[in-house]
Amino acid sequence: MFNPRERREMEVKAWLLEALDDLKRTEGVVYADARYLERETESITVRNEEVAGLSHEETKGYGIRVLYRGSWGFAASGVLKPEAVRETARRALAIAKASYLTQKKPVKLDDTPPQRGTYKSPWEEDPFDVSLDEKLELLFSAVRILRKDKRIVKAEGAMQLFHTRKLFLSTEGAEIEQEIVESGAGIEATAVEGREVQRRSFPTSFGGNYAARGYEFIRSLGLVKNADRIREEAIALLSAAPCPVGEFDLILAGDQLALQVHESCGHPTELDRVLGTEISYAGGSFLTLDKLGKYRYGSEIVNLVADATIPGSIGSFGYDDEGVPAQKTYLVREGILVGYLTSRETAPVIGRRSNGCMRAESWHHIPLIRMVNINLEPAPDGPTLEELIADTKHGILMQTNKSWSIDDLRLNFQFGCEIAWEIMDGKKVRLLKNPVYTGITPEFWRSCDAICGKSEWKIWGLPNCGKGEPSQAMHVAHGTAPARFRKVRIGSGK
Amino acid sequence: MIGREEILKVLKRALGRAEGPTEILFMGGRSELTRYTKSQIHQNVAQEDFTVYVKVVEGTRVGVARTNQLAEEAIAAAERKAREIARRQPENPHFPGLLGPQEYTPTETYCETTARFGPDRRAEVLKKIFAKAAEKGFEVAGSFSVSEWEVALANTEGLEAYQPVTGAEIGLVVMSEEGIARADAFSHDVEHIDFDSLAAKAIARCELDRGKIELPPGEYTVILEPACLAEVMMWLSFTAFGSESYLSGQSFLSGALGERSMGENITIYDSAWEPEAQGLPFDLEGTPKRKVVLIERGVNKGVVFDRAGAKKAGAEPTGHAGPPGSPWGAIPWNLCMAPGDSSLEEMIASCKRGILVSNFHYVNGYLDTKRALMTGMTRYGTFLVENGEITQALANLRWTESMLKAFSNVVAISREREVFARGGAFFSIVPAMMIEGFTFTGVQRG
Repeated sequence: MFNPRERREMEVKAWLLEALDDLKRTEGVVYADARYLERETESITVRNEEVAGLSHEETKGYGIRVLYRGSWGFAASGVLKPEAVRETARRALAIAKASYLTQKKPVKLDDTPPQRGTYKSPWEEDPFDVSLDEKLELLFSAVRILRKDKRIVKAEGAMQLFHTRKLFLSTEGAEIEQEIVESGAGIEATAVEGREVQRRSFPTSFGGNYAARGYEFIRSLGLVKNADRIREEAIALLSAAPCPVGEFDLILAGDQLALQVHESCGHPTELDRVLGTEISYAGGSFLTLDKLGKYRYGSEIVNLVADATIPGSIGSFGYDDEGVPAQKTYLVREGILVGYLTSRETAPVIGRRSNGCMRAESWHHIPLIRMVNINLEPAPDGPTLEELIADTKHGILMQTNKSWSIDDLRLNFQFGCEIAWEIMDGKKVRLLKNPVYTGITPEFWRSCDAICGKSEWKIWGLPNCGKGEPSQAMHVAHGTAPARFRKVRIGSGK
Repeated sequence: MIGREEILKVLKRALGRAEGPTEILFMGGRSELTRYTKSQIHQNVAQEDFTVYVKVVEGTRVGVARTNQLAEEAIAAAERKAREIARRQPENPHFPGLLGPQEYTPTETYCETTARFGPDRRAEVLKKIFAKAAEKGFEVAGSFSVSEWEVALANTEGLEAYQPVTGAEIGLVVMSEEGIARADAFSHDVEHIDFDSLAAKAIARCELDRGKIELPPGEYTVILEPACLAEVMMWLSFTAFGSESYLSGQSFLSGALGERSMGENITIYDSAWEPEAQGLPFDLEGTPKRKVVLIERGVNKGVVFDRAGAKKAGAEPTGHAGPPGSPWGAIPWNLCMAPGDSSLEEMIASCKRGILVSNFHYVNGYLDTKRALMTGMTRYGTFLVENGEITQALANLRWTESMLKAFSNVVAISREREVFARGGAFFSIVPAMMIEGFTFTGVQRG
C-alpha cells in the first residue's frame, strides 16, 4: 500500500512527533520544531571530451530546534532510528541550555499561526526519469560546438538536478509537507592565447541558470543553439580592446543585474544581518533599522520586491523552514527602503510578523534568513534593451558576472563581467574585454535612470548563495530587466 | 566516532559483495558550532553526518554514487546506481585504475580532549571572554566550533586507509561604539588555544580603532597581518596551484614552470606535516601525500596533481585528489608560506609611512588569473603607520592588485606564522609581510 519511502517517512514522523511531545512537556521549553528532509541530487560536468564529474547523491536526516527559556539549541542526525531521534532531541535541549548561560535578552517568536498544508513545485518532466545518455548527449553536443576553435582550451557543460521532500512539525501543531524539483544547466568556453585568458558562459556564469522546474527547463535553455555564439565571443575577446577607465553611463544586462541585486539589495536587507548575527562572517548591513520607511536607497523608478510565490522559480516554496507561508513583500518602493527579509524571531523587532524567509540548506543545517526571489520590478512601459541602447549617447553595456566583491556593510562594491560593448550615439560600436565597475551601493541605485520593460524581464536562479556558519549554500533567484546607471566608475584603477 | 575497525569492516563487507572493481570512501563525523553577537550566544548547533562515496569501475569508465546511510542495502543501492552511471559513460583514456595497498607517513590530527569539548565548556570559555570585553565597555561576536571526523578508504585492490581528525576553531570579533577588531585561533587540540591572550589581543586592537579617517586611494607601503595572506592563499590554491587551473592554461604557472614570477624571498609549498596543518597522510583516492614546492625563491616550481591529472600532464601524482565525482581536480589543502626573519613589530618600527591591514574581506581572484589579479576590502582594523608607529585608524579600503607584483615587492616577512582554517577543510600557515607600492582603489563610505 505504501512504498518504502512513504513508510520510512511515516515512521520518522511518528518518532519526531513523540520527541516534540516530550520537549513540549519539558520545563523551560517554550517552543520546538523538527524538520525531516530527503534529497536526491545528480551533478554532471562534461569537460572537453570527457565526463569530468558525475555523481548521484541521496541524503536523508532530521534537525530539531529547541527554544529553552528564550535561548536556541539545534541538533541534527542522519541516523533513522527512534533512539537516535530521542538522543538528538535531548542534545538540542542540552545545547539550548548551554546557550542560556550567556543570555541577555530572551528570544520571542511572532504570532504566526501554526500551518498545516502541503506544497508541490510545478514540473512536467521529472529530471530523474530522463536517461543519463540523453543528459550527457545534450552537454557533449554543446561542448563539441564550443571546441570547434583550438583556442578554446576548456569547453564545459554542467547540469545539476534536485528532488527534495521535506516535512515540518512544531510544538505549536504545525504540520507541513513539501516536494520541490529543481533543475539547472549551463555551458562555458575558456579561450587562451599567449598570456590572454577569456571566458564566456551561457545562459550565465558559475553553472548556468536554475529553476524549480523539471527537465523541460533544461530543454528550454538552448545550450546547443547558443554554443556557436558563445565560442565566437570568447575568441573575439582575446583580441578585444581593454575596457576604458573613467566615468561612463553603464547598462547592465539582466544576468549581471541579478548579481548586483543579490549583493547590494538582497544581502543587506536580511534582518538577522542587520541585527548583527553575521558580523563575524560576511558582515553587517548599512541598511540599519533607523532607515526603515525613510531612507532613499535608489531613484524613484527602483522597486525591489521579495516574492517567494512565483511558480517555477528556485526562490519559491509553499512555506519557509519555520512554517511561515510564502509571501510577496516590498523591500524598496519608489526608491525608499520599506522592508526587510525577516523571520519569526526578528520580525517583532520592527513590529511586524515574519514574511517567511527562513530556510536551511539541508536537514543538518539550522534555518537562517535567506533571500527568496528578490526582484527588480520592470518599469511600466519601459524600453526594450535595444531602445535603451539607442537612447544612450556614450556608455558601456556589461553582461555576465566574472568577479564579485563587496565590503562588510554592503556599500563599496567592485564587480567584473565577462564581456562589454562600448555604446556611441545609440549603437554598440566595439567589443571590450575585462570590464570592471565599482561604486557605493546607494549612490549607484540612486543613479538608475532607466529600467527596461516587462518584455526584457527574466528570472535568474542562483544555486549557490553562501551565508552562515557552518556555511550554507542556498537556492535563490532574481527577476531583472536590463537597467541604466549614470556616471558609474568603470575600471578598477589597475 | 565509529572507529577504524568498524568502518573498515563495513566498507570491506560491501566490497566483498561488489560486482567488480570498486572503491569506497567514508567521510564524516560530528561538528558543533556556537555563534555569538553582542556578547550573547544566538546560534548553537550540532550535527552528525557522513557521506559514503561508492566509486565503481567498468573498463576505463567510472561511476560514483553517494549516500549518508551505512546500512548494507544503502551502500549496495549506491553501488548499483554507480554501475548504471559508469556503463553510460564514454571510455576515459585518462583513468589510471584503482591503487593497490600503500604505505603512509603519519600525521597528527586527532585529540580526544577536543572531541569532548561540548557546548557547556564553550559557553564557559565565552562567558569569561564576554566579561573581559565588558570591562572596557566592548561586546564580542564570533564563532567557536569543534569537530571530530573520520576518513576511511578501501578498495577491491586491497588498499586501506584511515585517519581520525579533530579541530577547534575560534574567531573573536571585539566591538566598541566605533571600532572593531578580530583574533582567530585554530588547533587540533583545544588546549593549545590560549583564550585569554586571544581575547586580550582583540581587545587591545579594538581600543586603537577609533576616530577613523578616510585615506585617498593610491599606492602605499602596506603591512599585511597573517589573516590577509590566508585569504590570498585560498584563492591561489584554486586559481594557480591546482591541477585544473594549470592544465586549462588559466594559472600563471601554466606553461611557465621554471620562470620567475615573484621575489626571491617568496617560497610557497603544500605540506601535510607542518605543525597544525591538519593534513591527511593520503588523498581521497589513496595516493600517499607528498610535500610539493609550488614557488621556490620566487620561481614557479610545481602544481599539485591527482592521478588522472598527473597522467594528462605526464607528471607524478602528488596525493591531492579531491572527493570522487568532483570536477575540480587536485587542490593544495595545506598551503604554507616560508617564514622570514622579521616581526610585525619590526615592520611597523621600520615603516616611514604605510598602512597596517589586519584582515582582508571578500577577496575575489577571478579578475585576471594569469596575473593573479585580485580585489578585496580591508576589515577588522586598518591603520596608518607613520615614522614607525601606528598613528591613526582608517576607514576600510578597497585594494586591487596583482599578487605577482605584490609578491615581487615584499621587503619583510615575519618569523612567526599563524594557522588559519577555512571551512574546516582548507588550511594555510602564513606569516605577516611588508610590501612596497600596494594599490588601494577605493574607500568604504555611505
